[in-house]
Amino acid sequence: MTELLPHAPLVPLDTDADAHLRRTLRWHFGAATGSPFWLRIAPTLDFDPVRDIQGLSDLHRFPDVSDQLRTVAVEDLIPAGHTGAPFEVFESGGTLGAPKRVVDSVSRGLNVDWVSTVLDAHGFPATGNWLHVGPTGPHVVGRTIRHLAQRRGGVAFTVDFDPRWVKRLLGSGRTDLAGEYRAYLLDQVELIVQSQDIKVLFITPPVLEALVGRRDLYERLAAGLEGIVWAGTSISAESLRQIEETFFPRARIAAIYGNTLMGIAPQRPRLDGDMHPAVFRPFFPQSVVELVDGHGAPVAYGERGQVRVHLLSRDMFLPNVLERDTAIRVRPAPGDSVDGLADIAPLPSQGGARVIEGVY
Amino acid sequence: MHAPAPAAVEELAPAVRLNPVIAGREVDSRDRAELTGVDGQVVAEIGLAPRLLAQAAVHELRAHAGAGAPGAEVFAAAGELFATASLDGESPQEYQRRVALATGSPRGTVERATAGIRSALARIEELNAAELPAPFAEGAFARHWVPRGRVLAVIVPNNHPEPNVTWVRALSLGYSVLLRPGSKDPFTPRRLTAALLKAGLPAHRLAFLPGGHDLGDHLLDQADLGIVYGGPDAAARYGNRRDILVRGPGRSKALVDADSAAALPASLTSWIADDGGVRCNNISAVLTSGDVSALADALAERLAAPAPLPVTSAHALLPATTRANAEALGPYLAGLAAQGTDHSSARYPQGPLTALDDTSVVMRPLVISVDDPHHPLVGTELPFPFVVVAPWDETHGTAPLRNSLVVSLTGRHTHLAEQLLHEPSVRKVTTGDVRPWLSRPELPHDGSLAGFLLEPKALIRPA
Repeated sequence: MTELLPHAPLVPLDTDADAHLRRTLRWHFGAATGSPFWLRIAPTLDFDPVRDIQGLSDLHRFPDVSDQLRTVAVEDLIPAGHTGAPFEVFESGGTLGAPKRVVDSVSRGLNVDWVSTVLDAHGFPATGNWLHVGPTGPHVVGRTIRHLAQRRGGVAFTVDFDPRWVKRLLGSGRTDLAGEYRAYLLDQVELIVQSQDIKVLFITPPVLEALVGRRDLYERLAAGLEGIVWAGTSISAESLRQIEETFFPRARIAAIYGNTLMGIAPQRPRLDGDMHPAVFRPFFPQSVVELVDGHGAPVAYGERGQVRVHLLSRDMFLPNVLERDTAIRVRPAPGDSVDGLADIAPLPSQGGARVIEGVY
Repeated sequence: MHAPAPAAVEELAPAVRLNPVIAGREVDSRDRAELTGVDGQVVAEIGLAPRLLAQAAVHELRAHAGAGAPGAEVFAAAGELFATASLDGESPQEYQRRVALATGSPRGTVERATAGIRSALARIEELNAAELPAPFAEGAFARHWVPRGRVLAVIVPNNHPEPNVTWVRALSLGYSVLLRPGSKDPFTPRRLTAALLKAGLPAHRLAFLPGGHDLGDHLLDQADLGIVYGGPDAAARYGNRRDILVRGPGRSKALVDADSAAALPASLTSWIADDGGVRCNNISAVLTSGDVSALADALAERLAAPAPLPVTSAHALLPATTRANAEALGPYLAGLAAQGTDHSSARYPQGPLTALDDTSVVMRPLVISVDDPHHPLVGTELPFPFVVVAPWDETHGTAPLRNSLVVSLTGRHTHLAEQLLHEPSVRKVTTGDVRPWLSRPELPHDGSLAGFLLEPKALIRPA
């Protein structure tokens, strides 16, 4: 499928992660190749990134500088040594205040190409058009889906989906307006589905739920759909079963877990004995994901931990970012050496029992 | 100090599993939650219906909806089965024990509710007919009352089993029903579902879908009409939607003069505390033209009499809650009491929340007096015998009695009855020594259910 990465789906890039890390650091901290951002930070560190960081376990020595991504001039993030395809800028969701910005030229494309091979392993259709019912604009997922569709011989139809607006509506309790916005998105989906042949759908679980609530739209779409990629929010085990067995029994279903800083971890194909319906596998070692406890130590297999990511790409280096997600740590699949992630859920907020007035 | 536990007379039954039921088919849901009783033990494992499973139910029910109402005999038979039969391996006694443990209502309340449901289902046509005008048919001209939708979503409460009669009546009026049970009492609607299916209700008429608030919202959006039982939040949220009937807070009140306060202490106590005070028509505010403090003391003394017992005891009169809830409830009640004069707490050696050996916490009656009938505490309703006593005189008029499911008038104040009947936010008026929930099948409890679900249409045939 891909000439760039002739690897088996579960083993992308070279697996000597420490060598990859050292190459990455030499690039980002090299006087001639590194980014102004890191070259400014380097003298403030109490170690030498090139000399002292020899393996992944040393990465914890770096501070989490990701907050600076909210304000730094993006040209300062671009490695000086870069030649070739131009850079683009993408932004995180912006749930908490200003979004964080990342830059990318071709590195995320490698991740996406590998995701495409994983979709092959899931049995996704090799060709056909995609419909992307998800964020575009500053969000990287829009480019990702377009890239996937093109790579797999189709085009990606898109609708404008602004997740920040939805979060603002939900955060301020305007659920009616959020529902209206969802209906507005589905109106646009309806216009595409009425005349176009859609083989693969990218969608978030809440919008998919609303979609199947429109019976005519659902039936028309389900008749031709051969694959669904879902992402963006968690989904319950029974909901997933309903999608797979009741609503879209003809389609292959796979999820991707991703975020702006880390990249994409696709769901790997299910294996006998899996405890979780969806196990996600990062694009190691470009994306290194750890699940850690409250002290930053890795949790045991089967335990839930907070997601900590390190992005080790040629286009951007970003160590030690603690995400607001948690997941359960899953043993690597046979033949693989990289841990899986399952049951992604937001970090729980603190709150005690509440007294509710009334007899009901 | 812990109250003595009663002698163990019952074997502990294992936790039961309750799954969604769609068109007669039980779905072994992968989404599960444990329902914990007031004693901290798991009463049931609940299979939850996420939105997508509910959506599958919506599609299935809608495909078969609108096919006319089953006969009254189905409902009568279902009521018999509900009250007497073993259903899905559950005896009536086990059902009652589970509801008591899960909701904290005293067991006797659930037993009386079982009888009430049986009796209502036996006369379901009578209940429906009482809410509709006399039939009209003259020669070529006839008026038919028909459903104004096909699929009804119902959000059922936890506080008492009898409101479940509402959705059974909707079935008898021709609706298909999407049912979201209360989080603490899925047992009653699940058992009624089993009884109705066994009695011959067409299976595709009903879906039993346990889940959270967002599931309720989704069902209300998907259905043609909805009925919601809820507190002030639900009333604020759905109150102005014409497709949703809100059965909101009860906030039932009594207005007594000095003579009747002296003559009726036993009656007033029962109006406040019968069925553990969990009914929407239990009195939660007493206004009096007599001595406020004396009445509050008299009520507090009588209400303090029942001993705290486990809710599963045949002698239990008071409701209970879990230890965790009690920890939040304690400071909340102290805050309420601080807004007026607390006439009760000093009567309880361990305070109004009394922990038992089984870890459940009995909520003992609380009487608080205030000095103004418009005090914000008047109208506060809590799921145990909680009453606020406030002064009232003729100059206040009916204003402090607004927003009440029932207003009970006694003594010389009974002359306000007609005036209160014309107050839209008052749903029922009683006068004299009459329990607030006394009724007959011909009388409405809270407006007209049939009037919400049905509408008249004309049919004209050539003579």
